[in-house]
Amino acid sequence: MTSSVKNETNNNWLKQVYNQFIEAANKLTLAIEDGINTAITSKYNPFYYHGALPQFYLWVLFLSGLLLFAYYVPTIDNAYLSNRLINAWTSVQYITNSLPFGGVIRGIHRYSGDAMVLFIFLHAIRVWFTDRYRQYRWIQWATGVILLLMVLFIGQTGYYLVWDERSLLLTRMTVSALDALPIIGAPLKAWFLNGDTITNLTLSNFLFIHIGLSFALLFVLWLHYVRMTRPVITPPPAVNFILVAAILLIVFLVPISSGNMANLNTQPNTYDVDWFFLFNYWLMAHMPMSVFWISMTALAVGATILPWFVKTVSPPVTPAEVVINKCTGCSLCYRDCPYQAIEMVPAPAGSRFKLLATVNVPRCSSCGICVGACAFDAIDLPQLPDATVLTQIKSLAEVK
Amino acid sequence: MADKKTVITLVCERAADLNSLLDKNESIVGMPDVHVVKFPCSGMIQPLMIEAALKAGAGGVIVCGCQIGDCYYREGNKMIRDRLLGERPPGLKKAVDRRRVMALWLSRMQKQRFLSEAKEFVTQMAKLDQEESTAKAAS
Repeated sequence: MTSSVKNETNNNWLKQVYNQFIEAANKLTLAIEDGINTAITSKYNPFYYHGALPQFYLWVLFLSGLLLFAYYVPTIDNAYLSNRLINAWTSVQYITNSLPFGGVIRGIHRYSGDAMVLFIFLHAIRVWFTDRYRQYRWIQWATGVILLLMVLFIGQTGYYLVWDERSLLLTRMTVSALDALPIIGAPLKAWFLNGDTITNLTLSNFLFIHIGLSFALLFVLWLHYVRMTRPVITPPPAVNFILVAAILLIVFLVPISSGNMANLNTQPNTYDVDWFFLFNYWLMAHMPMSVFWISMTALAVGATILPWFVKTVSPPVTPAEVVINKCTGCSLCYRDCPYQAIEMVPAPAGSRFKLLATVNVPRCSSCGICVGACAFDAIDLPQLPDATVLTQIKSLAEVK
Repeated sequence: MADKKTVITLVCERAADLNSLLDKNESIVGMPDVHVVKFPCSGMIQPLMIEAALKAGAGGVIVCGCQIGDCYYREGNKMIRDRLLGERPPGLKKAVDRRRVMALWLSRMQKQRFLSEAKEFVTQMAKLDQEESTAKAAS
């Protein structure tokens, strides 16, 4: 008895701290955005395109990746075909040093990946701070976590493709990490290496994973956008130019280069960590493999199911209701609903109209935008009927 | 002299935070003629409500939503903006005096901005009333 009471007070205390934190974070976000609005107007405020920014970099990555793909040779050794050694590492060297602007394209591809991860985190933090990831938005959050994990893994496979000493070390670390998994470890390892050991087939598999998963991103992105009416997926052109210019600036300031070619007979043991993509390898090197896997899985699962654990002060969702005998089937509410929560269905027999609006309850946010769209008083929020609002407005408006 | 007309403020509860400015009659402290009606989102405001307020004798209507680009429900403020501009149905009737409707896009922190804008609007509406009554008297 006492312990449960104590638990509850503990919970309340935690809740209060969390709510205060979110409140402060929300205010901070708004203050930053207000500042940016005063400086460059809300039209160009990057915070209002926070989801479109990683999406833009995805297009940059597809385009630059296509150009790299044209010259990349996914093998570790094709000595049988040529007198000179031509492999992944030498082809990347060729792209970087001999191909006109090859180094620039490679740099754009690398840094756009980093920028994409950075903006995905900004995107996630903003929706978290502004409390826009729960309830009717859970599908966006859950697919968002999956997208982030996919992007991180795609980025890591990009690091294997260069085939320098770091690539070899990362490949071996991945293999030992997969090896540590029970039951699924061995088949995963065979899938990853495309065989038992590192061969030419390994590199072609890496290339396939890198490109295939990138296209799979488009499918998950569709799920990410599926309940959004008019998703904001392109920043204004002016912002796009700045995003590209920022990448070009970094490309010229910090040009990309590979390490030494990987040699299967050696065991490299140090490398530069790219904190956007390779932080998990750093963790892997600093803790037992079991702890690594358990904590990573807990982190991923925890992040995915976060929306169902957070219960803050936001008002409960009471879905809008259609007044059936008033609805004319004009579909204005259907067009304006920001969450595709209204469907137009054939009107019941005997109706004067062809269509009838219906509310898809799990998608409804009870924002009332449909009420604003209705000129016939035919859709209502049960907790705030527009008839009540109208009477209130009229009584306030009367001259006293 | 005619009675002072009221100003109705239709405001999104996530936009400029007016809670601390309200007295018990739901009007702004220091401006008893400015009344506030709160909505979950400015997108819920019907042009019909603005027409009704003006018809019932309000001197003016202030519509206040969040900053354009930032809406908790994604596009509510853009919806009411477009409706007021006549770019999205249902719109305001042609007969509505556009000078008596003001739209403000303010974030939660900008209540001072709201106060100054509202003060300005009230004096303008008083001026408008005076002009109209003198015009009436002249004709």
